[in-house]
Amino acid sequence: MTNTDVPGTKSDMNDTTTDDARTVGSKTADIHRPPAPIPFHRLLSVEARKLFDTRSSKIMTVVLIILVLASITGRGVVSGPKLHTLIGTAGIGFGTLLPVLGILTVTAEWSHRTALTTFALEPRRRRVLAAKCLAPLITAVVASLFAVLVAVPVTAVTAAVQDVPATWEISPLALLGWTGTNVLVVATGLAVGMLLLNAPAAIVICLSTPILWAVVGKLGATGEVLTEWFDLNTTATPLTAGDMTGGDAARLAVSTIFWIVVPMTAGVVRVTRKEVS
Amino acid sequence: MIEFSHVSKVYKGVKALDDVSFTVGAGSVTGFLGPNGAGKSTAMRILVGLSRPTSGSATVLGRPYTELDCPGSQVGTLLDAGAQHPGRTGREILTLGVMMLGLPVSRVDEVLDLVGLTGRESRRTVGGYSLGMRQRLGIGHALLGRPKALILDEPANGLDPQGIQWMRELLRGFSGSGCSVLLSSHLLHEVEQVADHVVMIGRGRVLIQGTVDELRRGRSLEQTFLELTANADRSTA
Repeated sequence: MTNTDVPGTKSDMNDTTTDDARTVGSKTADIHRPPAPIPFHRLLSVEARKLFDTRSSKIMTVVLIILVLASITGRGVVSGPKLHTLIGTAGIGFGTLLPVLGILTVTAEWSHRTALTTFALEPRRRRVLAAKCLAPLITAVVASLFAVLVAVPVTAVTAAVQDVPATWEISPLALLGWTGTNVLVVATGLAVGMLLLNAPAAIVICLSTPILWAVVGKLGATGEVLTEWFDLNTTATPLTAGDMTGGDAARLAVSTIFWIVVPMTAGVVRVTRKEVS
Repeated sequence: MIEFSHVSKVYKGVKALDDVSFTVGAGSVTGFLGPNGAGKSTAMRILVGLSRPTSGSATVLGRPYTELDCPGSQVGTLLDAGAQHPGRTGREILTLGVMMLGLPVSRVDEVLDLVGLTGRESRRTVGGYSLGMRQRLGIGHALLGRPKALILDEPANGLDPQGIQWMRELLRGFSGSGCSVLLSSHLLHEVEQVADHVVMIGRGRVLIQGTVDELRRGRSLEQTFLELTANADRSTA
């Protein structure tokens, strides 16, 4: 109550006549101020909220949290209190669920036709897309941090319960690289999703490529070279391990351009030009 | 003010809109009337920049919609009440709108009140809403930013007679304060009940426009409507 009353009395003192004319039928009409373009941080908080405000996304978040807890604890019991190993275990679930999160984020507006509302409120579509991509990328970093936060106590407890010394060694570079890999995984989902604007197709492509590469890698020398340069799982392995060489960096760059930069650029062009209906 | 100026749209070789020109003045509720597929939705999407015209231009409040600063706080739009994520609650959809426009969260309850959705209904997911409830939610969403112009595509669809009565009161009050309203419908009696001006289109062309009283000219608006749409069909066939 006090919140809405305070600005009212303030503007009454300033210009009573104009305010009276405008407030007919509406108590808070004095919040009308010259509209300013929507700032980016507002788009970002809206898109971040959209990640977790539907029934399906809530279910997915719960599944992700349970998966992290269960896989890290399970691995701790089986493999012993090794922090680096336990953190890496969470990556297996991330590799499947995070690209799906990315895909659903960019395709939902089209499958549910909410693009009609979103792009009517903010016609600068590239800004919306930027916010839409940034939100799940930040989520990937948060999810990685969460895995670390879970792995540390699990390592300590496992060591205590099994009565063996805990292995805490983990290079900061490897931890950073692992987080970076999770970010790349989300980015792949975003890029493929934005290019296809069709969730089922994008999910099938993202989840079946590891199997596909396993086959291609066995197709002689050419297959090996292809996998070495274009399979993001293979090229990101040195990044995860935290021991990149110059050649590794080049291979990672090539696969990133192929799986993320190119499809995302094409996707942005497609969404910007698309007729919304 | 809403203005269409010689807007044409060609879709895959078919003329969806053909030289459409009309104006919705301040304080007017203009009914955009035509059979299904006449081009009403296409025209409205062009108006808010979701689709590009092949030629011609459309403006809202004197400027192309996409060039307005934060258009959602000046122009309210409802283009398809069914276009919502079914897993989101009504309240959540309004909250996202309020966040986007930078309005206080209290506006959500004000608008729910205005469109007659109860607190309990607002906490249910939209997937379980009736079409009438979705229309109310969509109209509420359009009203969030206290706009000076309203663009509503088939807003009366799915509303019961009480709902249409409610919408008439709402829009009359709205235009009474100098705002412009453009609403489309394929049902004549809906438009007759709500609008003061009518623009009839058929096969992408404006067939006739004027005040509801002018167009009646001693006979029923329905007669005029049916004759004109039949003629339009014949001339293009």
